[in-house]
Amino acid sequence: MIKIENFIKKYSKQTVLEIDSLDIPIGQTFGLIGNNGAGKTTLFSSLLDLIKPSKGRVINNGIDVSESEDWKSFTTAFLDETFLIGYLMPEEYLYFIGELRGLNKKEVDAFLAQFEDFFHGEILGGKKYLRDLSKGNQKKVGVIAALIGEPKVVILDEPFANLDPTTQIRLKAIVKDMSKNKDVTILISSHDIQDVTEVCERIVLLEKGRVIKDLVTSPQTLKELESYFKGE
Amino acid sequence: MFKMMFGLQWKEFNRGKSVGGKLLAKILKWFGIIYFAFMAVGLGFIASRYGGPLMEFPVEKDTIAPFIYVNKLLIYVFIYLVVLRYFVQSLPILNIKALLLTPVLKKQIVRFSLLKTVFTYFNILPLFFLVPLTLSLARTGNYDITALIFWNVNIIGIIYITNFLNFLLNNKDKLLYGFLGFLALIKGLEFYSIVDFTEYSEKFFYLFYSHPYAVAFTWLLVFWLYDYVNKYMLQGLYIDTGLQVKIKEAKIEDFSFLDRFGKTATFIKNDLRLLKRSKRARTAVYMGIGFLFYGLLFVSFEDIYGSTGSFFGHLFSTGGFLFMFGSFVPSWDSQYYPLMMTQNIEYKEYLNSKWSLMIIGTAISTVLASLIYSFFGTNAVFAVLAGAFYNIGVNGYLTLWAGAYTKSPIDLNSSANAFGDKKAINAKTMLVGIPQFALPIIVYYFTSQYYDHLTGCLAVAAIGALGIFLKPVAFSLILKAYKTEKYSTLKAYKSN
Repeated sequence: MIKIENFIKKYSKQTVLEIDSLDIPIGQTFGLIGNNGAGKTTLFSSLLDLIKPSKGRVINNGIDVSESEDWKSFTTAFLDETFLIGYLMPEEYLYFIGELRGLNKKEVDAFLAQFEDFFHGEILGGKKYLRDLSKGNQKKVGVIAALIGEPKVVILDEPFANLDPTTQIRLKAIVKDMSKNKDVTILISSHDIQDVTEVCERIVLLEKGRVIKDLVTSPQTLKELESYFKGE
Repeated sequence: MFKMMFGLQWKEFNRGKSVGGKLLAKILKWFGIIYFAFMAVGLGFIASRYGGPLMEFPVEKDTIAPFIYVNKLLIYVFIYLVVLRYFVQSLPILNIKALLLTPVLKKQIVRFSLLKTVFTYFNILPLFFLVPLTLSLARTGNYDITALIFWNVNIIGIIYITNFLNFLLNNKDKLLYGFLGFLALIKGLEFYSIVDFTEYSEKFFYLFYSHPYAVAFTWLLVFWLYDYVNKYMLQGLYIDTGLQVKIKEAKIEDFSFLDRFGKTATFIKNDLRLLKRSKRARTAVYMGIGFLFYGLLFVSFEDIYGSTGSFFGHLFSTGGFLFMFGSFVPSWDSQYYPLMMTQNIEYKEYLNSKWSLMIIGTAISTVLASLIYSFFGTNAVFAVLAGAFYNIGVNGYLTLWAGAYTKSPIDLNSSANAFGDKKAINAKTMLVGIPQFALPIIVYYFTSQYYDHLTGCLAVAAIGALGIFLKPVAFSLILKAYKTEKYSTLKAYKSN
């Protein structure tokens, strides 16, 4: 589904990301792990054409993302709070995203009904704008918005960070549930090795902009990653 | 301590994004200030010999009529000063939260913020008027010099009262609405000639000349106000009071009647919410309304400015909203630009929605302006319509195109922060405006000189009409600019 070819991103002379080849097949739940500055967000941003690679291409379902905008119709993402519109209420925001994805209000409402317990009765029907919600609640709205409209590719940057324990567990369940659908390719980054090994089928470890490990998740993966980050 | 804080401010300016643009804006701003200083000096000299519209200019030697006349008008000067300050003067911004935990005393933070405003050009510029006025008045020998000096001290005191009042107006909505109500009352009473405030103004300000010791009251008020604002700001230095974003109760707004316009409507709905809910965006609407009356300035003085002058006024009167809103596309969306760039929409649709909103605003302005200027005859209405055509057919594209290169993010949420910068006007947008307004003026000037007013209007309207037909061409150029600038815009917005 997603192919990265001869990818290099440089800022002045410093290379922040260099990937010769990375292929993510349809339906895979793909995890990206690495320390700060490893290039996780840079990678996700270039998948979304928010950053232009210095060299190389990013292909999403056969479309070069910097050439055509057609990938936008089946790709969704939540990277950070810049994906939220602060002056909207959560409902208005979700309707807005829904409308862009061709869903009317009723369809959005029906879609949201399944996430009632995820929102914990705190978000919908409140009298607050998104900008006035807590960081955690903002994130919940952003992540759910990225799931609207049956996307084929979902990109989530550190979805589990800053969430309360209950929500973390619920979000993991949602992601696992989604990964059962073999049409949906999910890309997740995280700082937490436990989280990715729990949720993802495949884990790529980035370090200083390079792919160090590319693992199919197995019972040993957690140990392997742990020993890597301990510096053994 | 102050030195350190100045250092912080300098770094904030110097290391911020788009330093070049800011510098240019600063230079333009200073050109403006110097221009106004010269104007003030000239006005000071003229005012010292001008006794009002009923007297000959210059006045006879042995009268104090000019002084009386200045006192008459002072009330309006101060009212406009307050209004101008509210819209233009930015309050000092410091990275307050970071300073709260440092050993800097809170008192010092506040004192620095307040004292810095003492030297803004709003307080200095009036001196350029007062000094020549006073010197020139004193030279006539009709005045008591000491009393004149005390009168000046009083005026300066009142200038500082407006300075500190501005802090409160910016932070206390009730006070602002009270002031606006007061303003409307004054204007209304004056309009229907029930009360002539200039008479009271004359008596009041003359008092400080005839009884110089009264100046003590003014300055007591200055210090009391300083103290009050000081305390008020000090209270605001908690993250749950002044530094916190005030939470307003939200209400869902539907706008579903717009749905028939398809995807364009999806965005327009959002922009309408933006205009309603962000104080900064609302300024664009207020300015648009304000500009409707801009032409009046020229119409009333047509014998001075000539018909080209009033044509300029009419051109502006329909373009206020287009100008104030359009100049900040796409900066309005700076906080969530990555979202916009990844959603299931094409750039073209996004830009088209912005353009449509500008055009809707211009159309509404045109209807209102036509009504306002119909009192001044059909010629004025023709000029308004010609201006509207030009604004829709040319300025809409130009403004949108320039937006591709405007990379200063707008913090929509800052409005409720006591120390936030709430001003939406910057000199850079003014710079873009020069070519937009120079061309139609030149076209109008030459055609109306050789032929007549109507031909001039038609010529300008024709350019506008041509522009409307060329929309696909204009849009493909704009689109190209936006696409090339996309990545650097995203980067500039990111590090807000």
